[in-house]
Amino acid sequence: MIDASLLTQMLIGALLGLSVYLPLRCGQLSLATPGFYAIGGTLAALLSTRVSALGGSDAAYPLSSVLLEMALAALLCGVLATGIGAVVLRLRGVYLAIATIALVEILRVTTLNQEALGGAVGIFGIPQPFNDPGGYVLFTLMLVAAICWLCDRIERNRLGRAMAAIRDDELAAACQGIDTERTKLVAFVLSAVVAGLVGVISAHFLNSWNARLGNFDASITTLSYVVFGGSRTWAGPVLGGLVLTALPELLRPIGDLRLIVFGLVILVGPLLLPQGLISPQLLQVLRGWLQRWRPGQADPATTQGGKP
Amino acid sequence: MADLVQLLLNGLSTGAMYALFALGYTLVFSVLAVIKIAHGAVFTLGAYFTFLLIGGAVGANGLLSGFQLPFALPFWLALVLAGLAAAAVALLIERVAFRPLRQRGADPLLALITSLGAGVVLVNLIQLLVGAESYAIPTTALAGLPAAIRLLGAQVRTVQLLLLGVAAVLLIALTLWIEGSRSGKALRAVAEDATTAQLLGIPSGRMIQIAFGLSGFLSGIAGGLVGLSVSIAGPYFGIGYGLKGLGVLVLGGLGSVPGAVLGGLIIGLAEAYVPADLSGYRDVVAYGILFAVLLLRPQGLLGRVLPTKV
Repeated sequence: MIDASLLTQMLIGALLGLSVYLPLRCGQLSLATPGFYAIGGTLAALLSTRVSALGGSDAAYPLSSVLLEMALAALLCGVLATGIGAVVLRLRGVYLAIATIALVEILRVTTLNQEALGGAVGIFGIPQPFNDPGGYVLFTLMLVAAICWLCDRIERNRLGRAMAAIRDDELAAACQGIDTERTKLVAFVLSAVVAGLVGVISAHFLNSWNARLGNFDASITTLSYVVFGGSRTWAGPVLGGLVLTALPELLRPIGDLRLIVFGLVILVGPLLLPQGLISPQLLQVLRGWLQRWRPGQADPATTQGGKP
Repeated sequence: MADLVQLLLNGLSTGAMYALFALGYTLVFSVLAVIKIAHGAVFTLGAYFTFLLIGGAVGANGLLSGFQLPFALPFWLALVLAGLAAAAVALLIERVAFRPLRQRGADPLLALITSLGAGVVLVNLIQLLVGAESYAIPTTALAGLPAAIRLLGAQVRTVQLLLLGVAAVLLIALTLWIEGSRSGKALRAVAEDATTAQLLGIPSGRMIQIAFGLSGFLSGIAGGLVGLSVSIAGPYFGIGYGLKGLGVLVLGGLGSVPGAVLGGLIIGLAEAYVPADLSGYRDVVAYGILFAVLLLRPQGLLGRVLPTKV
């Protein structure tokens, strides 16, 4: 039932979940992920279809060009996010959420109206770097692994602790000497870079790109990945993204009812598991097992305090 | 001159519609401090209810294909009944998606997700039952009223004036209720602090239900009116308005009733005055204003700055 194509979509879902998770880890509800995703996707679509030098001589689109697109997307999204973040991160709570939604909508409508960016029709015939879908699975899986590793590193070092402290109490964190502005900005920029990278892969994978891929629905769907999976550690958004992307496809046999069931899952999930699938309790149990399994190697994360 | 009046009225009636929408959000936000994403779906339901109650027949694609109520109500009665039905749905949403979280004292973020789930269920239920085609509420439903009248040399659609009138009446009634009556005062007390209000003998749960019911009623009415003014463009058509309503709400100031109206009128007018050859950029103007206001005045135009509690 799960083929290579769905697997790639699921991994892309996991990456988008991670992108929403990063600012949320320091308590910032930013819904800008689809905006940066769209920037990455549009950039990749434009470069790969309009710049013939990137195409190479082989039948398949060279992987090095994809990597170049990713580097450019990361750079563009990073620079934009630094500028935007410096301004919008002064907003708190729901105001930040709305400002980022406004940003996503401005980007979407502008792309929709600019013929040069694909306009309402979109960009078609984006070249394929892989001959079979398995290549995408492998490539996306590697990116997921890299970002997860990065998040794991962050969570265990000073930056991650600072982020958690801001989430629990921003004022107290500032009083402890944490540079809250900078920490929030770093999380926001990282989130934008991840979203931009995913956009590049998506554009090639989907073969066509249009402005509708980064809209309000995408903002809320990606947020549901994190809330459903759990926002305490990187495993939550990954699991949430995998499950919630697969669910509508796996439910296809029940036909028209599938989106209703999907809605019910999103509705009931937070009621049954308010802290997501990967909850702090579950993490504690897992860490306990890990320590029994590897005695002597104390896990510094167990000493990390959470919300009571 | 005539053109300017025309644009002004276009803008005002669009703005009135956004304001009606934002009022529903504001009522719920002021008591619970959560945003009800399902609001757009309730609005859509109001439009479909109105369509059915005036005797409209369902198209061929849904499970209810060809269904038609055995009676046809006059538009005004249908609109009010649709508003009540939408209020009932809003109460159901409160019961299912909000109350369990509130009782557990969960993160307000979760309510955003559960109400998204409720919205997804509603929208897809509509699609399953009546199909995805668009429906139009015929303007002949307004029996006796002319389709358009001349005002200061401008040709004005009666529907637009009606939208403006209904929004004004509902707005004044709502303000009078919140500011003047005992139950309105109770609502404000719950908004300030639900637990303290409860200790002082105000039934907080009941007031929250009233806020949800009213919010559903307002969005149901708005849905019916927009269905009459534009058309019902399929089950998803409330989502775009919902998003715009959210922007209007923040522009005016979260939880402020006059703010919601001011925000609605500003966005409506700004959109009306976007030149026709740039009409694709209309939404950029609306969200651009919102973005700018948020940065300059984060609490919104008429919002209050709450002191930070430590």
